[in-house]
Amino acid sequence: MTDFLYPFIDREERDAGALLSDLARSAEAKAATSEDLRRATLAALDHELEGAAAAMAARFAAGGRLFTFGNGGSSTDAAGVAALFSRPPSGRPLPARSLVADHAVLTALANDVGYELVFSRQLISTAGPTDIALGLSTSGSSTNLLRAFVESRRLGLLSVGLAGYDGGTMADSETVDHCLVVRSDSVHRIQEVQSAVVFDLWERVSRLLPEGDVHGQ
Amino acid sequence: MSHRRDNEMLGDVAANLATCALAIAGRFAQGATLWCWAPGAPQHAQHVAVEFVHPVIAGTRALPAVALVHDDAVATLRPMARSGDVLLVVAQADALVAPTLRRAEAWGLTTVWLGAGPRPPDGAADHVLWLSDDPVAAHDGRMVLGYHVLWELTHVCFEHPGLLDPVTPDGPVCTTCSDEGRLGEVVGSGNDDDATVRTATGIETVSTAMVGPVRSGDLVLVHAGTAITVVDA
Repeated sequence: MTDFLYPFIDREERDAGALLSDLARSAEAKAATSEDLRRATLAALDHELEGAAAAMAARFAAGGRLFTFGNGGSSTDAAGVAALFSRPPSGRPLPARSLVADHAVLTALANDVGYELVFSRQLISTAGPTDIALGLSTSGSSTNLLRAFVESRRLGLLSVGLAGYDGGTMADSETVDHCLVVRSDSVHRIQEVQSAVVFDLWERVSRLLPEGDVHGQ
Repeated sequence: MSHRRDNEMLGDVAANLATCALAIAGRFAQGATLWCWAPGAPQHAQHVAVEFVHPVIAGTRALPAVALVHDDAVATLRPMARSGDVLLVVAQADALVAPTLRRAEAWGLTTVWLGAGPRPPDGAADHVLWLSDDPVAAHDGRMVLGYHVLWELTHVCFEHPGLLDPVTPDGPVCTTCSDEGRLGEVVGSGNDDDATVRTATGIETVSTAMVGPVRSGDLVLVHAGTAITVVDA
């Protein structure tokens, strides 16, 4: 029925060997692309990461907390960042949580004031001038992240934005203190390397915050 | 800096990812739901599910995938999962995982374990996709790469419908006669000599004369209408 759309499809194909070889080669190629992008990105962002880590460590040392957010797959990566800082594989837990974790809050805000305000409204109710806002977007132009960064600036938060492609609107935004761009046009490769970037950021922050430097939550 | 070593990113897992993607695509072609569970790190399960439900590549088929966000996956899956579905676990080796995979197998699910860190024993799932011995892979993007690639390869398989026909899975083997034995979960005990058991093929009444009294929730190996062993869950 869809043969005219997919003329290359062979319904009589029975030997999976060739396909499995192609798939394995494809997996290796994607992993190599991801690894090359990771190396290039961490090298290109070295200076920016050092600055962002120093600023974040200063906030944590002053009793600040980290709030993370994103949409779709990036929302799960934001939850991963909050977990990495608050339940780290090693070292001291730091106060961090994801603004996508509470369905009641998220759907109440989306329903009553609009989806573009779901993160900024939470920052208004919960965040203060020693805190940190960290948002992940592959496009760099998600409206609710941009609104959250505007609110972060107004409230005195430190803002860290992760973007992909050419950085999108985030790259030119004056309200993003540290914009970390993974320069790729593949959403998947961007997300993989954004996770590597925030892991690198966490390692740097951890090194700058020896045991005992952070006061309670 | 990262602890990652050169060329370690996917290691030798590429061939396993390929085989697993073809199996998952075959299950989807038969109407399966993909259940995603990541005990201790539920964001990974949610990331996998959103990839399948709302693909980033325009024109790609949306597929039924559900993230289980609580640690007790068994309680959610027992009423929801159907024989032929797929359970994908994204986790480090964890005491909760093996018993959950075993029960999913009894219900007729295809099981996949994607992870990093200390390796689980062989045969812990139908498809064990072990990205690295380094548990840090769960945090630094390598786990995300693993499920992204699994998603991408699964969709390539849909271009090969001739390879998506159902296959008969290999079951455990009866130790006395080397014939097929099927894993099942006791869902109710009848009288002293039989019990109602849920297996991959449905609900059936089996004799318990060989194993003695069983309780609801016990896993048994069923052969020729008889429970021949109570299996450690």
